[in-house]
Amino acid sequence: MTMPGIEVVFYTGAIGLIVIGMAGVLMVKNVFRMLLALVLLEAGASLLLILSGFRETGVAPILLSGHAAGQLMNDPVPQALVLTAIVIGVGIQALALALILRIKHRYHSLDMGEIREQMEHDIAVNSGVVSPASAQSPEPGGHHHG
Amino acid sequence: MDNLILVVILPLLAAFLMPAMARTSEVLARVTGLMVLFISIIIITSVWGSVDEQAVSYAIGGFRPPMGIVFYIDQLSLLFALLIPVMILLFWPWNKVTHIREYSLMMLLTASASGLVLSGDLFNIYVFYELLAVASYGLVVAQGRAGKKGEGAALAASLRYLILGAVGSVMMLIGIAIIYTQAGTLNLAHLALLAPEKLNNMAGLSAFALILIGVGVKAELFPVNTWVPEVYGAVSTRLSALMAGLLSKLAVIVIIRVLVLLFPQPEALQLMTILGMLGVISGELVAWRSRDMIRMLSFSSIGQLGLVFVAFSIPGDMGLMAGFAVALHHLLVKPALFMLASGWTGPLESLKGAAKQSPYIAALFVLLVMSLLGVPPLPGFWAKLLIVVNLASQAAPVYQFALAFVLIATVIEAAYLYRVVMILYHPNQGQQASVREKHKAFELVIASGAAVILIAVALQVQSMETKLSSMARQTGDRQHYINTVFSKLDLADIYHQNKVQQTDFRSNNQLQGSK
Repeated sequence: MTMPGIEVVFYTGAIGLIVIGMAGVLMVKNVFRMLLALVLLEAGASLLLILSGFRETGVAPILLSGHAAGQLMNDPVPQALVLTAIVIGVGIQALALALILRIKHRYHSLDMGEIREQMEHDIAVNSGVVSPASAQSPEPGGHHHG
Repeated sequence: MDNLILVVILPLLAAFLMPAMARTSEVLARVTGLMVLFISIIIITSVWGSVDEQAVSYAIGGFRPPMGIVFYIDQLSLLFALLIPVMILLFWPWNKVTHIREYSLMMLLTASASGLVLSGDLFNIYVFYELLAVASYGLVVAQGRAGKKGEGAALAASLRYLILGAVGSVMMLIGIAIIYTQAGTLNLAHLALLAPEKLNNMAGLSAFALILIGVGVKAELFPVNTWVPEVYGAVSTRLSALMAGLLSKLAVIVIIRVLVLLFPQPEALQLMTILGMLGVISGELVAWRSRDMIRMLSFSSIGQLGLVFVAFSIPGDMGLMAGFAVALHHLLVKPALFMLASGWTGPLESLKGAAKQSPYIAALFVLLVMSLLGVPPLPGFWAKLLIVVNLASQAAPVYQFALAFVLIATVIEAAYLYRVVMILYHPNQGQQASVREKHKAFELVIASGAAVILIAVALQVQSMETKLSSMARQTGDRQHYINTVFSKLDLADIYHQNKVQQTDFRSNNQLQGSK
């Protein structure tokens, strides 16, 4: 497929957003920034989806009476899809934000490493593997007999 | 067949009406949920007989495909459409005082899960998958394990699950974008028609890899399964049973549908084999090291799902059949084991002599575990045998590796399950035996029911085999899918439309060589 002119810029932008978002989700420690990276990632994916129906010389896909037949149009289907994807994305981001708020109240931290440590400790305490008093990391240590 | 759409609409409607109804009458709202589940079961059983060798498609709103969205109803989707309300009903949280929100989420789960298995449109599947994901994030928070440490763990587990799930969804969306760029349609039957020509290339393969990893989050696929032990450790065993048993299989079905219909290249299968066998070996190894029952079962679930992926990656109908056998077997056994585990919390050592205290429960556990492992007369054996025999008959080296991995994993599985059984039947009582919480009645009923079904299947292996192979043949038949969704008239229409579209929308969208 040939991608002349402006499409190259758009594709670079979409893929760039995806790369930045992915790198952010993987490398950032702060959960709120992680969420922001997720927003970038979703924006990149949406842009990519829009581009799949984009024609450089295309017009808006509205059939008017005076419309010349056979004129190149942008594909409306991806636009409808992206609208759905954006709405879903916003919903999930709002849910994540609510969770982050409640986690902050409980664990007093936004650092993913600390949250994970406290969570694993809580899980281990709850399933009775370690006693509540021990503040050590609850990861299963050495002794098991096979 | 027309009222099958109610299976999606009614629970969805109920999910949003129930909180409003609860303001006037709490009882009414609760009863509504149960009623909807019963109605769903009745609707599905009423159409049960009409789908056998010939699948049926239903165009929603009368819009004909490929423009409209279709439901595709074959043996596979109908079986799962029935299993969903039945399993939701079994694990319905009715014995405690629950907030109405939780019932609402359960209804949302039912609606989206039913839509997921019935839908014949890729983007529709994406939307239902997202709905399912949101419902499960919510349920993880709502059904956190009791105890003062429970809520925090459930919140954190849910957030970590959400972030992984959201990244997975984005990957799936990118995969869908690639498919649309290549083929210019999202209707599965239309895509199946175009796939050999449009998707049999590197772009198609990368789209499959993205969808596999994206949907794989829910299916506990190897690199994206870090949420499994966290979530199952933080939520009630009731929800773990539902998620490990049912939800993971739904994601697997989405992957299988997409794989069979859209991606003919052998590399797609081999990618799945590799991820599957890494899942088997890593899951079983960590399960072997874990110190409490629920953690062990979570990792064993990762291992079993890996086995399901290995089975489905074997080319041809035999692979599909082996996959269905393992998946359905796991769907039956793992929830039952989770139910038994809920009364056996704490470190494994504290379970010493539990068999003396409750001999019936221990016997149930041994039976289920033996089937999970694949001890001969039980169904698990036949499922594993199918995998091993079919892996051995494949020439490609990756399948020989997979065979070795599966056998090694089975040995590891045997080692840790044997250890647990030995602890249960230890002659001395553990120290915590007296303070251990009792199994609840419904947990025992579910586990006993699973055991009865296991034995019944073991006695009826022959007829089960015929059913599974007929289901596998139907699922694997791409032409059948296309012919079911499109009438001859439609096919002619598509050909015509694609020619028109070529001048209007897209330049690479022409249907060549189709009949």
